[in-house]
Amino acid sequence: MALEMAKYLGLFVTEASDHLAKLGAELVHLESAREDGAQVASLVDGLFRHVHSLKGMAASMELDGTAALAHRAEDLVEPFRRRGQAPDPESVDVLLAAIDGLGGLVQRAAAGESGEADPALLARVAQAAERARNDEPRPAPAPLHRAVEVEVEVAPSCPVPSVRAFLVVKKLSRLGELVRAVPGVEDLKAGRLPERRLALVLATAEPLGEVERALAQISDLAAVAVREAPAPVPVPAAALSPAAVAVPARSAAAEPARPAEEAVRTVRVRVDLLDSFLDAVGELILATSRLREIGRALPEQHRPPLEDGVDRLHATVKDLHDKVMAVRMTPLAVVTERLPRTARDLARRIGKQVEVEVRGAEIEIDRAILDELGDPLTHLVRNAVDHGLESPAERLGAGKSATGHLTLSARRERDRVLIEIADDGRGMDPERLRRAAVEKGALTASAARALGDREALLLACLPGVSTARQVTELSGRGVGLDAVKRSAEALGGALEIDSAPGRGTRFVLRLPLTVAVQQVLLVQVAGEVLALPIAKVHGAAQVELSALDATQGAPVLPYDGGLVPVRDLGALLGLGGVRPAACSVVVADGGGGPVALAVDALLGQQEAVLKPLQRPFDRVAGLSAVTVLASGRPVFVLDVHRLVTA
Amino acid sequence: MAKRVLIVDDAIFMRNMIKDIFAGGGFEIVGEAANGLEALEKYKELRPDLTTMDIVMPFKSGIEATREIVKHDPEAVIVMCSALGQESLVMEAIEAGASDFIVKPFKAEDVLSVVKKVLGD
Repeated sequence: MALEMAKYLGLFVTEASDHLAKLGAELVHLESAREDGAQVASLVDGLFRHVHSLKGMAASMELDGTAALAHRAEDLVEPFRRRGQAPDPESVDVLLAAIDGLGGLVQRAAAGESGEADPALLARVAQAAERARNDEPRPAPAPLHRAVEVEVEVAPSCPVPSVRAFLVVKKLSRLGELVRAVPGVEDLKAGRLPERRLALVLATAEPLGEVERALAQISDLAAVAVREAPAPVPVPAAALSPAAVAVPARSAAAEPARPAEEAVRTVRVRVDLLDSFLDAVGELILATSRLREIGRALPEQHRPPLEDGVDRLHATVKDLHDKVMAVRMTPLAVVTERLPRTARDLARRIGKQVEVEVRGAEIEIDRAILDELGDPLTHLVRNAVDHGLESPAERLGAGKSATGHLTLSARRERDRVLIEIADDGRGMDPERLRRAAVEKGALTASAARALGDREALLLACLPGVSTARQVTELSGRGVGLDAVKRSAEALGGALEIDSAPGRGTRFVLRLPLTVAVQQVLLVQVAGEVLALPIAKVHGAAQVELSALDATQGAPVLPYDGGLVPVRDLGALLGLGGVRPAACSVVVADGGGGPVALAVDALLGQQEAVLKPLQRPFDRVAGLSAVTVLASGRPVFVLDVHRLVTA
Repeated sequence: MAKRVLIVDDAIFMRNMIKDIFAGGGFEIVGEAANGLEALEKYKELRPDLTTMDIVMPFKSGIEATREIVKHDPEAVIVMCSALGQESLVMEAIEAGASDFIVKPFKAEDVLSVVKKVLGD
């Protein structure tokens, strides 16, 4: 701020605060005065005058950040003033955020600082203004702005380092908004670039790779470092819209005033590096087991010291494994925090009302699973709003509140996490799904009749069987329920649907907390050792196959009050049948219901580090992964569902 | 396929030198222009992958020409040919939309390295 302006500062702060207070009050007033046209027009006029005055005052005070934000807010109000129309609730939200941002800037001005406006907020207001101008809701969510730190060193061979640095600044500016440049652009223009180094902070929606690519196209750079800023760009917390700034819940909750301290205590680690840690720890676990096996072959007197050492090694490796897994754990909030907004935006667009409650977002699950959860959860939420919830009129007619309720809750159940998305909408009708599936030729009429209601609900996951009366642009596109089910299964989990017509629908994703290490049951069949994921195993029993009731063709096993079909695992795998006289059966989840797999012997339970299959084994239906036993012997892990349906 | 280059410079000597550098680097020289006006016309006609642009030229400067070319084609890749002492002009050109710059005296390998990078090769 120029020195001669300082004497006007007190007056500016007083008047600006007054305008801001009136803006806030009038916005709230507008919400209740929506019906009265003349009153609305005069209130919107008032809004416009306040922001306009504020913009002019800030510009005169050379408070560029404040003026820029006020300018964008004015752009947002302008279309509504022209139409004599009250801003829609979404725009009101944005305006309130802008008022908070302006309030923060005015306070900083009072303290003698000329702060910059939060780029994410500026972008959000600009986007809302554009939408208001087009008078059409835009489907795209607000861009996710993250702070990216860039440091470059210009090569000594460059004859004009400041020009080179200037080019870097300009190129990166195209990817987002420049929050900070050291040295500043004016210094660069004057040819100043101390130590040939330039440091930037860029608020951008682009991935890091895009920033790196842009830098890779610039010559004469001796060193380049690009990283996510450890904390969001420091701005008043009130101005941070949850949808506009993508940061994990924990850092968003941390006070932005202490970014430096945060940076010392945490480091960012690339996910692929974490994955390689896990691989290495997996190898250590195997190597330790192998050592123990070797020890068993030693003469008695040499064993205790070795076993003692192996025990200690095992404990250390186990500890290391737990720590590596803990590092990979990330709160579910990372993917759930934008869902309430997604639901509200969609509801607003299609004329519905929804309240979203999120519970258990603090539960931590493996990063690898979390990465795959974003799309399925978004789809389930959209699906619930679009198809599950009724219109307000329909709800009132059915004796419900006009506003629908959506609950997203997560809870742990031993080594699984259950994520439920429940609505209190119209529910799903199993009978209609049965009919639709038969009509589409997905199922014979008798097979459809044989399905229980909960199984019939899962028919909604078959492509093209959805009974949604109309496929809307929103949930009829991209991932469908079938994709949600597939994603859950690919993660070693399952999708369940529960519904009561007229009362609502509940989707449950049952997922493992971690991926890479699983408990498996080892079985022997025709001389081969195979593994079954424990998560899919209900129980085991010793039986005599010939003694089982086989009057329906295939033998059935009485189990848990019902009858389970028995399949010979050896025959299923083409290895030759099991010995029928004394065999064991493992009752496992076969996808369509439990199935009893006959095997020659049960070898025991074990923790296995699963590795993906390589060609050509990845083409074999029924195999899902491979693991290596302590003896060094590779063992295939079976995908029971695909095995029995293949 | 060889990348297509348009060379803009008011001095025939410079054009020939730059042509030789690019020809030696496996580029195809599709056209030449001796001032900013010609540059704009040739650009619209030829749609080159890369344009080298002198800064100080008669009728219309390289900076003006750059601004108009980029307005016409935001994807245009224009490399400014500059000399020591022209720093502020180069920055102006960058603001006008130039993708990069080279500084006289030109060394063939430096010029080729800059343009290959800026073309993302």
